[in-house]
Amino acid sequence: MENNFFGEETAVILGLGEHRVGNYPMATIGLGSCIALILHDRRRSVAGLAHIMLPESRGIADRPGKFADTAITVLLDEMESQGCTRNTISAFVVGGASMFVFSANSLNIGERNTAAVKENLQKQRIRIEYEETGGKVGRSVYFWPEGKGCLIIKRADGTCSRV
Amino acid sequence: MELDPVWKDALTEFGNIGAAHAATSLSQMLMSPVEMTVPEVMAIDIADLHKYISNEISAMVVFQIQGEIADGGYIVVNMPRQTIIQLTNQMLGMTDTDREINEMDQSAAIEIGNIMISAFLDATAELLGIIMLPSPPALAIDMAHAAFESIVAQVATDVNDVLIFNTELTSEAPPVYGSIYMLPNVELAGQLFRMLERLMEPLS
Repeated sequence: MENNFFGEETAVILGLGEHRVGNYPMATIGLGSCIALILHDRRRSVAGLAHIMLPESRGIADRPGKFADTAITVLLDEMESQGCTRNTISAFVVGGASMFVFSANSLNIGERNTAAVKENLQKQRIRIEYEETGGKVGRSVYFWPEGKGCLIIKRADGTCSRV
Repeated sequence: MELDPVWKDALTEFGNIGAAHAATSLSQMLMSPVEMTVPEVMAIDIADLHKYISNEISAMVVFQIQGEIADGGYIVVNMPRQTIIQLTNQMLGMTDTDREINEMDQSAAIEIGNIMISAFLDATAELLGIIMLPSPPALAIDMAHAAFESIVAQVATDVNDVLIFNTELTSEAPPVYGSIYMLPNVELAGQLFRMLERLMEPLS
């Protein structure tokens, strides 16, 4: 298992509901029921990352990164304005865990987020390169956009993967 | 979001009373003194949560706030891993602190959370004149921020700020450390403000 030799400290860290597009390393830590969506253009080494919290915006225009539907749109728009094209963009989807089981009233947000993200990606015809969703553990995600892109997932149980 | 200083004071007092009762309950359970810090009340933007809540593995015991306002939000006790182990050891007379968290620790965490939060809600409910009851607890032992955001997702659809009361309870023997966070939903927060407004009237 690799540890901190990739300069993870230099990654720009995004918080809940934020989104960013750039050619530099990005990260978001502590994903519970939220989804980290990474859109990557491997030809231009540009990536967009959003920390999505809820499945539907229902018309809320503020904080597009917070909702699955608006996050995908805003990431794609910004990437296209930086010269990316949809046919060279692929997606990495991580998160959507269920850490708490509440009463029947609260529907499982982790699952709903995962479904909403995948549905929106399909609508926009973006291919999913890699997905790690569900389960019960918290995850942190680090992404380097150069070339093919490098994704590191660190999990609460201490395990780590590199894609 | 900056809280009006008058509100901040009123909410601090509110948190103070709740936390004091929680600390008393905890010290009765541990049979050793428990101290608390003056609660810090903050309205934190959800995007900044990760600056306040780390990714240390900790035990989060979460209760939904029920009662007069159904599903009024959540109240959370957060204890780092090491604290849980110390507490279980204390209660069961064990000494091994270098071990993994097991089912006894999980039960202990839930019990402790239960006791502290019942005390907190009891005390504050009396202050505000509104009945707040904790739901049965849910426990997660995981990255603190991940667990927290799973809860925030339940209350923060329409809002981007979370009202957090953060009190630290500490004890020396054994060395334990815990925080209480209250995440009221919009309706409960509104009620809180109205109640506190009423309480403050004679002073203005």
